[in-house]
Amino acid sequence: MNPRDEILARLRQAQRDETLPPPWQSRRDFPELAARFRQALTAVKGEVHQVDSLAAAHDLTNQLLRQIEAEKVVVNDERPLHNLPRLPHITYHQVGQEDAALRDFCASADAGLTSADAALAETGTVILTSGPGKSRLASLLPPVHIALVPTAALTTDLFTWTAGFNRQLPANLNFISGPSKTADIEQTMAVGVHGPKRFIVILYA
Amino acid sequence: MSNPSSATMSQFRHSATVAIADIQLQGALTGATNKFVNGRTTALTELPHADALRDHFKKIRAATLANLPHYLELFEQRATAAGAQVHWAQTGQDAVDIVLNIARQRGVKLVTKSKSMATEEIHLNTALEANGIVPVETDLGEWIIQLAGEPPSHIIGPAIHKTRHQVAELFSKEVGRPLSPDDIDGLTAEARRLLRTQFLAAGLGISGGNLGIAETGTLVLVTNEGNGRLVTSAPPVHIAIIGIEKICPDWDAAATWLALLARSATGQPMSIYTTAITGPRRPDEPDGPEEVHLILLDNGRSQLTGTPYEESLQCIRCGACLNVCPVYKKAGGHAYGSPYSGPIGAVITPLLFGLEEYAALPQASTLCGACKDACPARIDLPRMLLQLRQDEVAAHLLPWRERKAEEFAAYVLGSAGRMNFFTKLGRWGQRPFQHDDGLKLPISVGDGRALPSLAPKPFRQLWAEGELDNT
Ligand code: SF4
Repeated sequence: MNPRDEILARLRQAQRDETLPPPWQSRRDFPELAARFRQALTAVKGEVHQVDSLAAAHDLTNQLLRQIEAEKVVVNDERPLHNLPRLPHITYHQVGQEDAALRDFCASADAGLTSADAALAETGTVILTSGPGKSRLASLLPPVHIALVPTAALTTDLFTWTAGFNRQLPANLNFISGPSKTADIEQTMAVGVHGPKRFIVILYA
Repeated sequence: MSNPSSATMSQFRHSATVAIADIQLQGALTGATNKFVNGRTTALTELPHADALRDHFKKIRAATLANLPHYLELFEQRATAAGAQVHWAQTGQDAVDIVLNIARQRGVKLVTKSKSMATEEIHLNTALEANGIVPVETDLGEWIIQLAGEPPSHIIGPAIHKTRHQVAELFSKEVGRPLSPDDIDGLTAEARRLLRTQFLAAGLGISGGNLGIAETGTLVLVTNEGNGRLVTSAPPVHIAIIGIEKICPDWDAAATWLALLARSATGQPMSIYTTAITGPRRPDEPDGPEEVHLILLDNGRSQLTGTPYEESLQCIRCGACLNVCPVYKKAGGHAYGSPYSGPIGAVITPLLFGLEEYAALPQASTLCGACKDACPARIDLPRMLLQLRQDEVAAHLLPWRERKAEEFAAYVLGSAGRMNFFTKLGRWGQRPFQHDDGLKLPISVGDGRALPSLAPKPFRQLWAEGELDNT
């Protein structure tokens, strides 16, 4: 027998029918999802801005890019980013074009711009997926990650999200709940170990 | 510190004694475990119906393990359909061989690793090095102990035993210039800089896995630093090693798992990054690994199903039981001689790696029950520790003096008459050894400790004589 069959054979000797409990129903009820999202994410040193239109989100994005004096910015190919006005002094890499250069660009980029598929209010989490025009490294290698997220993408928590989730999984799905951090040296929190030092979410109506 | 890969009675006593005398270590242990305990308490208090959620999770884990072959096959089928390659490893050596084979085929010289207890369990780094492959640990804590040449001392905080001075010294050596121990941000920045080049140069990324979701063939990895994302995104090949018990039926169950994992471990509502990987990069994607290999590791686990120890497989390695354990908090992780320390380590280490080699571990508990209270899956660790003690007696693994002492105790405690007689005898016999601060017996009960002497009148007598009123 091969290892697989041997392991399974051993396990089958103890196999019995026990039914799973029905899915847990969320016991959360937040009066305002965006407020909870902001509170949860800022508590872990993430930054949250709320604006009332996509155009305002674009303005704010460019204001932030100027503030950090960004010179190189990688942009995922996602709808909320399509009409983002480009700033003259910045070199952009548009994901989906010349992907051979993507990795090196991300490694030296000052910021990565993405959207998100969904966001969880309870934990201040945004959910990013991989796919055509959507880079994993764009939200990971640059020191600043800015995510433009429509308020409508907010759901209460993990339980409400899984309840509505279609089970069509991309190769890579990330729940991001703050800037990269560690507490491995004397339990002292330090931000920006391997991932972004700043995680900025712009919620737009 | 050495890694004995065993913990006999005398080894454990020795390492624990050394650990208790180490003031720096005691400070580090107290600081870290208190911080974890407070974090966990706050996080679970903030979560509505946390206790009911834990009951729910227990049911999920029990039902999954009861039907494990089904869920493993489903996981394999769905992961394969997504393009991942699934491997089965009966032993640690089998898993090591699978990794080495893939590495050879791809001509890999440099490997980046994200923290994985399974790879500690199978001593993967030693094997890689012996084959001319350089493994670089990228979790900051793991990297610290890799530089120090030590095994991890806590399931989720591998370097909690290290002070910032020790870390600064290790890093200074690595960068070739002195770094300040008081600038923790600076130390972290150095690690980021040094490890960044390795991430981008590595031909292979190796990770563990917190859980595998059968329904979609998805591997889930939880990290805070982002190293888990890097290890699984940057190199062309990703290998994950995951214990066969870490299977979760579906996404609904996974939500419960994830709602409890970080809260129990670090007290975070959710870890910074929870990464769900379903196969390699798809043809139209701009980045990600070309190959994903999932190694399902048995290494003794399948023998536990259907036994009184099956419950130990419900563990999700959150570390909560370590932080509340009075023995772990004093002895530290290294005394256990295993990557798995604390109460869960004391149960699974002898089960997976040999009761004889690890005979001290079932005894390394006060049976206070704090671990069971803290466990997100409510695993009855004290019950299994007791059961293991019985196994030890049956296998004649206890030193004869302890065996005789316990047989004698059982005899005395077996009847009130004998108990009375021997207490009287003891009160008389203890006189030559009585000192102000207790009994000083000719046999050792631990350095610097004395047993209390027998009271002139036992409690039972005081009670019977009514002398306890108003006192
Ligand atoms: S036994 Fe329970 S508390 Fe201990 S590590 Fe496992 S899941 Fe956590």
